[in-house]
Amino acid sequence: MEPLIDWADLQGNILRGYNKTYVRHLVLTVDTPAAAREWLGDAISGEDNRAPQITTAEPWGDDKPRTCVNIGITHAGLAALGVSAASLASFPHEFVLGMASRSKMLGDTGPSNPAGWKREWQNQDRVHLMISVHADDAADRAAIADRIIGASGAFRLLAALDGEGFPGDVVHFGYRDSISQPQFDGVHGPGNLPDDQPRVEIGAMLLGYDTPIEDLRWRVPSPQVLGLNGSFNAFRVLEQQVEEFEEFLTAGALALEENPLTVQLLPPGAEAQWDPPMTRHAALREMIAAKMLGRWRNGVPLERSPQSPSPNPPIGKKELNNYGYSHDPDGQRCPIGSHMRRSNPRDAKTVQRNTNHARRLIRRGIPYGPRYDPSHPIAAERGLLGSFMCASLTAQFEALQYDWTNLGLLDPRITGTNDPMLGNNDPLFSRFTFPVGEGKIAFKGFSSFVHTRGGAYLFQPSISAIGYLASLADGKAKQSPAGADHGN
Amino acid sequence: MTIITKVKAFLRKIAETVLVAFWRRATPVKTPQPEYSTDLADNLQMHMNLVMPLADQTAVGRAEAVQAVAANIDELFTGLSNVGTVHFARFDLVGGNLCMYSVFDGDFRAYIRDFISVFGSVFDALLGLVANPPPSPSALHPEEFIDWIHRHDAFQIPRDLTSLFPKERNIKNLPRDLILLLDANSNVQIGRFSGYPGVSVAQIRHETGLGW
Repeated sequence: MEPLIDWADLQGNILRGYNKTYVRHLVLTVDTPAAAREWLGDAISGEDNRAPQITTAEPWGDDKPRTCVNIGITHAGLAALGVSAASLASFPHEFVLGMASRSKMLGDTGPSNPAGWKREWQNQDRVHLMISVHADDAADRAAIADRIIGASGAFRLLAALDGEGFPGDVVHFGYRDSISQPQFDGVHGPGNLPDDQPRVEIGAMLLGYDTPIEDLRWRVPSPQVLGLNGSFNAFRVLEQQVEEFEEFLTAGALALEENPLTVQLLPPGAEAQWDPPMTRHAALREMIAAKMLGRWRNGVPLERSPQSPSPNPPIGKKELNNYGYSHDPDGQRCPIGSHMRRSNPRDAKTVQRNTNHARRLIRRGIPYGPRYDPSHPIAAERGLLGSFMCASLTAQFEALQYDWTNLGLLDPRITGTNDPMLGNNDPLFSRFTFPVGEGKIAFKGFSSFVHTRGGAYLFQPSISAIGYLASLADGKAKQSPAGADHGN
Repeated sequence: MTIITKVKAFLRKIAETVLVAFWRRATPVKTPQPEYSTDLADNLQMHMNLVMPLADQTAVGRAEAVQAVAANIDELFTGLSNVGTVHFARFDLVGGNLCMYSVFDGDFRAYIRDFISVFGSVFDALLGLVANPPPSPSALHPEEFIDWIHRHDAFQIPRDLTSLFPKERNIKNLPRDLILLLDANSNVQIGRFSGYPGVSVAQIRHETGLGW
């Protein structure tokens, strides 16, 4: 039976992507708790003149708003707002500890070590809230963000992180993104591309519901009004080493040109049939990029088209997410160690047999920094502002990061290797292999192409929970909202 | 026993009771958490040494525990096989304690979560025989269950003792730190050996044709 969900009580950014071009994430510390709580109350009052309103998950119909606003709060932020010690202790231990404390587990070492994170993330105790403004144009984004920052005495701005989507949902590495998201029981998300993976229980994303692990439910932090319908977000500032990645593709293509297995990987002359046609060298670069991710850079999955990004007949947009790996057990089409396959093994056999669909995340990301132009390369910081949402940070985000992205525990043939795109790769040990017929092609000695530059574990409270927080004073609710359960 | 030996034994007794109690009050030891490592070998073949005192430690209670495990042993073994990351697991009765020792790959908490999902209900029944069990059923209290298992898992002393006390600046204090650590932890694993470090159970099964 589909769960009953009160859409008006959910923040709108969790189950639905806004598909707005401009995003500004305001990283804030609570200045005056009473003023911050008052702002929270204003932000759900329904009166836009008091504060920009938090966007809920209620259906828009044809009246899509020009701007959307959502909020995430750290454990330190909940404390700063006056949440009681008992309530703070009821949150999951990894959320209490925070992202920087989990760095070794997450693979945030070497260039991703928190000691080298950007200044605003250095003192994690001061990171209290992240308010995200999504807009169709930059002026609207600035206007809303300025109103939030200007709220009298409420917040102090640590950083304003701007993201801007590129045409065609392309990210810095040149791949088309935003293709695959989990499909949930009882949620008919517009824009989600269909697939035949099992629908995921809503408890994978929201607290208080059945999860993909049979009979298991995560603890709802107390009081119930604060925890129910909440969700967690592992927010990451992921710097992308685009120039190094492109150089790696070039060096890899040169190596493939000398490899006798390459004729099986891409029959000579096949690249001339691609749309657009490519030189052999350029096509081999694209082949490596596809093998590393699991899709061609235009979004066509290797499982559906292993030798061409432009198959004939073409693969329609609705089919881009509709595939599995059970017919490709050895990874001849899509490598077992590729980013997509190890992040979501779909119907492939995995070592941890009951986890195939238990670690699904909602991913919302937007590029930051100037777009990389290979003909005029500009050295600049560029990357992705990524939100990885789930109901259990440790069972989903951390488990994925710890033993699938890194370690490769899900399949013995990749155990001991890291994700070639996102993994914590050290040139001394890095290895990416994939089978070609009876042989195997291997790339070694590459470094990490993605460096973590900051981030925080955020709790995304329900609208009722925001109301509860607004009602707090000196660590206690002024007035218990209806249905509040303080005994848990 | 000479008089000197007797005096030494007396002084040691004093130290064990009075001095340790004083140290405990003066510098309470917080058991260090195991550190995660980016070294592959440190993330495979992890050990769990679960020591669970029985509620009834008489011969009758101990017999009940043996019967309960034996009656469910096939289901437990099937579940362990389905977890997929377990090298070995043993169920022992040691004194008044029901013990489960296992060697597994990956993160401890992920292992226990998988454990709940494949044979949580059987394990819940066993925990009915244990003193101060976690709330039941484990599937509806996963966080409490994992924390309880963690508390009953014998603390594992790393090879380098100094790494346990990174803030200790005076090396002469290490014996005191260790005494206090053992004062806080009844059960410890002192060392572990592997004949094939850095290899997962699935890799062994794959290489030996057992199927993973």
